[in-house]
Amino acid sequence: MADNELILTNVTKRFGGLTAVDALSMKVSSGQIYGVIGPNGAGKTTVFNCITGIYKSEEGSVSWRGEEIRGMTPYQIVARGIVRTFQTIRLFSQMSVAENIMSGRHIKSSQGWWHGICPTPGSRRDEKENWMKVGELLEFFNLEEFAATPTMSLPYGHQRRVEMARALAVDPTLLILDEPAAGLNDNETAELVDTIFSIRQKGITVLLIEHDMELVMKVTDYLTVLNFGKKIAEGTPEEIQKNPLVIEAYLGSEDEDDE
Amino acid sequence: MKKLSIVSLLVFLLVMAILPHLLDPRWQTVAVTFLVFSVVALSQDIVLGKAGMFNMGQAMFFGMGAYVTAILNSHFGWPIMATIPVAIIAPVLVGIVLAAPIVHLRGDYLLVVTIGFNIVFVQVLINNLGGVTGGPNGIFGIDPLRLFGFELSSQVAIYYYAFAVLLLTLAIMINLDKSKVGRALHYLREDPLAAESIGINTRLYKIFAFGLGAGIAGLAGSVFATQYSAVSPEAFEFIQSVLFFSIVLVGGSSIPGVLIGVFVMFVLPEIFREFSTWRFFVFGFAMILTMILRPRGIWPATFGKIPKFLIKEPKNGG
Amino acid sequence: METFFQQLANGLTIGSMFALVALGYTMVYGVMRLINFAHGDMVAASAFVGLTVYTQVMGQASSLFAVIAIFMLTAGLMACVGVVLERVAYRPLRTAPRLSAVVSALGASLVIQNGIMLIWGPRMRIFPELVPQHYWHFGGVVISLIQVLILVISLVLMVALYLFIEKTRIGAAVRASSIDQDAARLMGINVNNIIALIFIIGSSLGAIGGLFIGLYYRGITFNMGWQYGLYAFIAAILGGIGNIPGAMLGGMLLGLFSAFISGYVSSTWADAFTFMLLIFILIVRPTGLLGERVAEKV
Repeated sequence: MADNELILTNVTKRFGGLTAVDALSMKVSSGQIYGVIGPNGAGKTTVFNCITGIYKSEEGSVSWRGEEIRGMTPYQIVARGIVRTFQTIRLFSQMSVAENIMSGRHIKSSQGWWHGICPTPGSRRDEKENWMKVGELLEFFNLEEFAATPTMSLPYGHQRRVEMARALAVDPTLLILDEPAAGLNDNETAELVDTIFSIRQKGITVLLIEHDMELVMKVTDYLTVLNFGKKIAEGTPEEIQKNPLVIEAYLGSEDEDDE
Repeated sequence: MKKLSIVSLLVFLLVMAILPHLLDPRWQTVAVTFLVFSVVALSQDIVLGKAGMFNMGQAMFFGMGAYVTAILNSHFGWPIMATIPVAIIAPVLVGIVLAAPIVHLRGDYLLVVTIGFNIVFVQVLINNLGGVTGGPNGIFGIDPLRLFGFELSSQVAIYYYAFAVLLLTLAIMINLDKSKVGRALHYLREDPLAAESIGINTRLYKIFAFGLGAGIAGLAGSVFATQYSAVSPEAFEFIQSVLFFSIVLVGGSSIPGVLIGVFVMFVLPEIFREFSTWRFFVFGFAMILTMILRPRGIWPATFGKIPKFLIKEPKNGG
Repeated sequence: METFFQQLANGLTIGSMFALVALGYTMVYGVMRLINFAHGDMVAASAFVGLTVYTQVMGQASSLFAVIAIFMLTAGLMACVGVVLERVAYRPLRTAPRLSAVVSALGASLVIQNGIMLIWGPRMRIFPELVPQHYWHFGGVVISLIQVLILVISLVLMVALYLFIEKTRIGAAVRASSIDQDAARLMGINVNNIIALIFIIGSSLGAIGGLFIGLYYRGITFNMGWQYGLYAFIAAILGGIGNIPGAMLGGMLLGLFSAFISGYVSSTWADAFTFMLLIFILIVRPTGLLGERVAEKV
């Protein structure tokens, strides 16, 4: 328990004949902002899915605070303090912003199933406390005026913030962000940088995938670079920028991306 | 909108509270039927409307409650009062056991499987399994409800009994929306993967919804058995489940919507009795038309049940 | 052993009818991800339409020509009903929430079922004896001419459909539409036409299935559509929904299964066993025996 460490050892995930993640090992230490980068289709999101329990990797080990979490279900992993956002935002789109954020309080709430049928003073207090917490997050993410707005009617950038607020509502130890800057404009990206730093201020470890290299170089402490499911490099942003393998992978892939 | 629903709910409850004194016995019976079917439709709303599971077997749980009361009373001599808890718990347990292996199935498959449960259930009743269900004719001569030495056998008494059950159900529905479990059901309906990824054990809550829905339907069944002092299999055929399913969706899976749906489906035909052969033909068209004009139902459920202190005016220049 | 062969013959006959009806479900589900609840009632309706065509149009003639004409007319008529059904009840809801379309389908089912009742009455009607009563005896096993005809015609139709779907350009368009409607549209496929085509094929095969049901069981009722429809839909799930050969296989297997259950166990519990089979398959192999072919995004 001493260290909030996430250690992946030889994680391999296959889809039929395709090896999406190939013997990946990496170590995220407590308090880091850790980046995973790589060209499209490199297997980054698959890695996240393996960590968060959406997929179960065929081989290897995913260890969190010394506990093996490979094979656990997503909600069990959330209960251990790891929570994520999605590359394609997945909000509860008909529900209000406040309700969306409230979903993150689910595992923190002390209510039992019977309280849904018959409330008690204790459950009312718990309800109130959790809504207060939602209020704080609304404020933190500057979403107060949208509290009652259904998320589907919000602009994209706001939806990203709601999704992060929802994840933070869990009071996570490790926050996993899957392309948090995708679809954001320059202003919003700048805000995002501040947000990520202030999340770290709260003592939360951040693991992120991002394509915006400027952002990655600015915020991360340490990086792993994937290509075709394999780790081709790891190191600090400065080291990675100089790594010839990385440059080749990116330049090679950009040609293909151009179409 | 929110004020409107509260006011209309209060007016509705007030009217319902004095209604039996304004009606002749035939319409009192219709009114009781309305109450009982409203409870079943609301229980279906928990499973279908809130949790978003395509359950087309709710009449089975309704029937199970009715038969539990009937069997325990007529074969084992239990007083009706004592059968009520069993009429709730038995469907809950059956609901949990049946739901556990199937809740993960895709919507349409769940629908077919629950139809299957309903059909098998009716087959069990007709084939008189264990010699207690009375076969195709069902069970007659169920005792009236006795409470504190009073015999609640008049239609008015049964009306108030059913009304109390409806109030209980409404209270549960409203509490549910203000609780962790109720929200969990909404979340998993909207996006099961996102719900799971935010820490919600979706499977558990799906089973919970089934169990709760089954329990409420079972209670309604017990009232139904007491009302007619008889039960027979055809009242629980899966066509009834289809009707409850449609009522919830046509209504818009909100409380007023579901009540309107029950009224249209079960009370209107009593008013237009001479057209009874046309009933389903007309309803079929009405269902298609409603869905085309209002795909989310007549009175769609609204979200945003959040405490007032969170709702803030837009900031100036913000 | 006699029971075995007798139930084998019966099962193949019932199975062919299930398969014909299942094709309509599976193709519609494949492209639209919708259980066309009205399909079963269309099948029931075609038996009644066949009855009326026989008495009113054909003047009760049952020559080979007349029988073929009855089949063609009924199938053609039901194909038109199918297209109208899709236009009226399903097309306006294609972008609506999925449950809305389900309710609309249930509504259409009620309309057709009760339409039959209003036109032909609530009582059971007897379907005409269009095919001579001819039996072959093999030991104790009896096989009728009707059974042979049903099996052979169904197989011919299914093989024809399979070849059409797998070997022609239009068939490829149908397959493309069931994998990804949007991509198919981008590739220049007119998905509306494909859906209309699916309803034409599905409804006319269903109509033939309905006429077979009339020929085989003789007694037809206005509400029989739900039962056959449900079985056929289960057959489609068993084979893997959206999968055309799957529906054929599923239909045949389900027919054999219910025949053997009635032959060896008991016919009163046939439904219960069928649903247990369905649940078992869905738990063990959720995508059906031959795998699903369903549009993932809607």
